[in-house]
Amino acid sequence: MVLFLNQLINGLGTGAIYALIALGYTMVYGIVKLINFAHGDIMMVGSYTAVLLMVNVGVPFPIALMASMFVCVFFGVLIERVAYKPLRDAPRICSLITAIGVSYLLQNSAQLLFSANPKPFPPVFSVAPITFGGVSISFVTLVTVLVSVLLMVGLNLFVMKSRTGKAMRAVSEDMGAAKLMGINVNMTISTTFAIGCALAGIGAFLYCIAYPSVAPTMGAMPGLKAFIAAVLGGIGILPGAMLGGFIMGVAESLTKGFVSTQLSDAVVYGILIVVLLFKPSGLLGKAQREKV
Amino acid sequence: MMNRKLKSYILNLSAIAILFVIISSLIDSGAINKYYSGILIMIGINVIMTVSLNLTTGFLGELALGHAGFMSVGAFTAGIITKQLSASLGWDAAACLPISLLAGGILAAVMGFLIGVPALRLKGDYLAIITLGFGEILRVIIQNMQITGGASGISRIPRVNNFPITYFIMIAVIVIMFTLGRSRHGRAILSIRENAVAAESTGISVTRYKIFAFTFAAFFAGIAGGLYAHQIGRVSAATFDFNKSIEYLVMVVLGGMGSITGSIIAAAVLTLLPELLREFADYRMLLYSIMLILMMLFRPKGLMGTAEFSLTFVWDRLTGFYKRATKPRPLREHAVTMPDVPNYELAAGAPVLETKNLGIRFGGLQAAENVNLHVNDHEIVGLIGPNGAGKTTVFNMLTGVYLPTEGDIQLLGRSITGKKTYEIVAHGIARTFQNIRLFKSMTVLENIKVAFHTRMHYTPVSGIFRLPKYTREERGIDLRARELLRVFNMEESAETRADGLPYGQQRKLEICRALATNPKVLLLDEPAAGMNPIETRELMETIGIIRNRFNVAVLLIEHDMKLVMGICERIYVLNYGRIIAEGSPSDIRNNPEVIRAYLGHSDRDTKPVKEGEANGNA
Repeated sequence: MVLFLNQLINGLGTGAIYALIALGYTMVYGIVKLINFAHGDIMMVGSYTAVLLMVNVGVPFPIALMASMFVCVFFGVLIERVAYKPLRDAPRICSLITAIGVSYLLQNSAQLLFSANPKPFPPVFSVAPITFGGVSISFVTLVTVLVSVLLMVGLNLFVMKSRTGKAMRAVSEDMGAAKLMGINVNMTISTTFAIGCALAGIGAFLYCIAYPSVAPTMGAMPGLKAFIAAVLGGIGILPGAMLGGFIMGVAESLTKGFVSTQLSDAVVYGILIVVLLFKPSGLLGKAQREKV
Repeated sequence: MMNRKLKSYILNLSAIAILFVIISSLIDSGAINKYYSGILIMIGINVIMTVSLNLTTGFLGELALGHAGFMSVGAFTAGIITKQLSASLGWDAAACLPISLLAGGILAAVMGFLIGVPALRLKGDYLAIITLGFGEILRVIIQNMQITGGASGISRIPRVNNFPITYFIMIAVIVIMFTLGRSRHGRAILSIRENAVAAESTGISVTRYKIFAFTFAAFFAGIAGGLYAHQIGRVSAATFDFNKSIEYLVMVVLGGMGSITGSIIAAAVLTLLPELLREFADYRMLLYSIMLILMMLFRPKGLMGTAEFSLTFVWDRLTGFYKRATKPRPLREHAVTMPDVPNYELAAGAPVLETKNLGIRFGGLQAAENVNLHVNDHEIVGLIGPNGAGKTTVFNMLTGVYLPTEGDIQLLGRSITGKKTYEIVAHGIARTFQNIRLFKSMTVLENIKVAFHTRMHYTPVSGIFRLPKYTREERGIDLRARELLRVFNMEESAETRADGLPYGQQRKLEICRALATNPKVLLLDEPAAGMNPIETRELMETIGIIRNRFNVAVLLIEHDMKLVMGICERIYVLNYGRIIAEGSPSDIRNNPEVIRAYLGHSDRDTKPVKEGEANGNA
């Protein structure tokens, strides 16, 4: 029981990070229907920014966090403008390939600049874990879960209530009609990328605190898993991304604890396949039928 | 002039032979050392991978992100079998190769089949993610099995692969893909990419062909994996991860999705390039990624698009035959024979098509209710009603696109309720669509040929090896498709791309395609939508001709009242999903309820209105 609870809490911690990254994925997918493969690598860029500022310059962590969010946003919007925008009307697979290209570009540039050797991430919080009869909750996990839930709720409110959020939903429904209603589509899409990447910046920070090592390819795996989390929950749906992220994290952690460490990835993908077979548009997705 | 087909066989065969002789003599003489011949073999293996992935991603149009997984299954299966047979039974390793390659291919095909099954329910990005997940699951499972050597994989596989083996298997795969693409099965797969709904409505089982394509592609990936294992001598599951799948996807896309020659070129270039850039190893991947982005930005269709490089074409150009070769072939003069008409027995007075209390409910919305309509032999019946009345919904139920929640549909007295769309087509109901759904990038002739699918019977094997049955049926279909086009005065546009036709012609082609399935009942969904008055008048004539020549009953939805009143013998009026009136055009014109449905009502205008006045009120 204690082991189970510990694994569950660990899983929630990892899941919260997946969820944060998945939010960015899902927002971008919702609006431009693009699987932004470079999203995980944006997280890597944010992590390098943070580590360089904190270790080499000695900046305190709140400022480093702001800076890394800023750098993520800058890169995200730049990539959108240069690489994705020209392909908005091209077949979807073209922008997907471009996204893969951007992902490789970021990874390899980082490798050239910082070498393939991982850099250690400095400890940020040194608070002892809280323990209840053998079950321990680390401060980091607590912060991670709290931050990601708060951000999800805030983001959901933003998308549902604010003017910009309404514009985002309109563009996602029908880009042409939104344009005709006087919505600045380019601006709206850039804003979406910016928000998604800012979340990736926060996600980067939390990820680095949990796994304190920064490397050029560090974004690939969490990026892929976050994307799968987004699909699991129903891509384009914000609470879905959160749900998917937590399910992935917990499933992974429980498999590691009770079955086998190596098989955890297989279990996660297995869950995804089973869910999609029974609910083809994800857990919270609505079934869409093609109009004939 | 020499038979073009024979000429192309001779040309291509000699090119294959010459290339082989040159390369293998260079290898034998030592001019190409072991390192470079290794690269050549890798090119061959990658060509097989790319060409087979092109079947699912290029021809079928479904993004597959787990192709390396199938390669891995093939590599491990083949590697283990050869190792076991040669070690425990003392067989010659080279003699084991055919068995182990085949076994690897078959096991990979089984995996491809397993992943094709989810295709029953999913499409697009979701299907792509399933393929990704499945590929990763394969990798993890292989990494954790005893027999596959766990994380370290298996090594000391006899390295019995060589250039001739790889070369000829590669050629075989390429040829098979080419011939498959030009058979009825290949056309079916292509039509799914172009428009899955239309494909299903011309009698193609989308599910079956999706699974077929996935299985087929996986089989060849498995063979490629087997070759790889016997080339390198050791395999580990980590090699065949997501990145490897992406690598092959990139090759397909760069070459051009749907172009086999494009795939070959891209696979060769992208295998060679990293080797050539080895000196700049640090910048290699960077360049590679920039190239990928630039390629997509400036040439998103890939190197070749969907075009194929043709040796015959080049030869004709070089030898000056070009002009003669491209001169349109004189249309063979043949009397237009009577197109085949559906053959069925009908009791006197019994309807061809009949619905009994048909209804459908979407959640809380009753979209259609108690629809009782029938279409008699040889009759033209109109189905009219205001927008949103449920007319297309009725069509969708008749063709099996929607499953009715109540009632029954009977064709020739037999219930067809609950049958799949493609089965209903085979039973004899064909349709056109409100918004035109052609196989856009296929030619006019190919559009028609796809619709002949259900009436051809040769197997994929006949198609691939061009057995006599294939030749006979294809020749017959070619002739019949052209005849059909001639009836509609469209024979000159046979080789035009469907989306290159003017609008009116596109509508006509859709009708033509529906007729090619040999229907007993033809459903036309707003055939005159978007047509000008002249085109509409022509259409009216065409519909009359169709009824007489093809002996079909016609049920049509239309808003153009001149057309409906002009050619329909009977009319049903639908409003809020119910039939509110039935009768001859003049009955309908004077039916107060119909007028109310169309124009709304107040106390003043409930009395019957004459045609002219009705227009005035509108």
